[in-house]
Amino acid sequence: MAAMSVLWRGAAFAARLNPFRHGISNGGFLSRTVREADKATVRHGSHGKQMFVIKPSDYYDRRFLRLLKYYILLTGIPVAAFVTYVNVFIGEAELAEIPEGYVPEHWEYYKHPITRWIVRYFYDPPEKDYEKMMALIQIEAEKAEMRLQQLEVRRHMRHRGDGPWFQYETLDKSLIDNSIKSTPDT
Amino acid sequence: MPLDHDKDAYPEPPRRTPVVDKQTNLPNPALIATKLFHYAVDLPVTTFRDIMDQLHDRNKSYYYQQKFRRVPELTECKLGDYLCYYEAEMQWRRDHKVDQEIVKIIQERLRACQQREGNSHEQNCAKELQQFVQVAKAYQSRYGDLGAYASARKCLMKQKHRMLEQQKEATQG
Repeated sequence: MAAMSVLWRGAAFAARLNPFRHGISNGGFLSRTVREADKATVRHGSHGKQMFVIKPSDYYDRRFLRLLKYYILLTGIPVAAFVTYVNVFIGEAELAEIPEGYVPEHWEYYKHPITRWIVRYFYDPPEKDYEKMMALIQIEAEKAEMRLQQLEVRRHMRHRGDGPWFQYETLDKSLIDNSIKSTPDT
Repeated sequence: MPLDHDKDAYPEPPRRTPVVDKQTNLPNPALIATKLFHYAVDLPVTTFRDIMDQLHDRNKSYYYQQKFRRVPELTECKLGDYLCYYEAEMQWRRDHKVDQEIVKIIQERLRACQQREGNSHEQNCAKELQQFVQVAKAYQSRYGDLGAYASARKCLMKQKHRMLEQQKEATQG
């Protein structure tokens, strides 16, 4: 930047020195009159002219990005280091044929060591999940069957009236007042 | 490619290492380039891989492919036997996944063939193309437009319709 400005000013100076530019000035070759009196060649000992740039504050944006990077890397770096350690020193499993007479554990069907660890200690074996689902289905099937049976039984008992359901309490015969029936003209 | 891939499905082209017949004293730029590549890229990568393999060999573990027993299919289940339905459904889903992988493998073979043959792939890949067409047609007819909520029952109904169509064509034709 400084070299550029120096060069620019040097080039401008040299151009003004050139006598063939704008022809010969009024006093001939030997009088070099400076035409532009308000501009002068200046050599800066620093990085060029310091400008006071007026722009809106970027403090909040920079703060946001700073905090974002901080909070992401706070857990990101330990996790990345851990995963790198696992991949380098423990390594993935190799695919092999199931040996004769050996029943692999349910975590031995996965490749990555972290997946294997999670499946081993946190997940149920798929056989157990299967059985859990089958148990739920069995319970629901029995419930549905029982509901249908109940409707059937209701229908029968209502129709025939010889079952324990739909028996309504009626009044005792001895409480009925039959004296009204003894006079035929009321 | 893994070391135990099927050599017939992915045939390698014959090696054509030319006999060195040097007639000038000028250095061979291709040789320089290969040596440069070897020392700058190949050697560091190979040594890194060897170190990793050594570290991995200390705690070696294996993983296996799970084999499932065959259970009665949906056609062999009694009406209302929901447990049988569930087992058949799970088996159908596993078979669906296997069939998807089969289609992917056949696609991969066709792709590899096209890449290998280059500009003469239309003539030389006829076998792979025929295999792919057959497999794709079969997949389409069996699992084709079942949709995202496909189930063993819907697949069975599709098969039933297919067989009805065939019967109709057989009696009409």
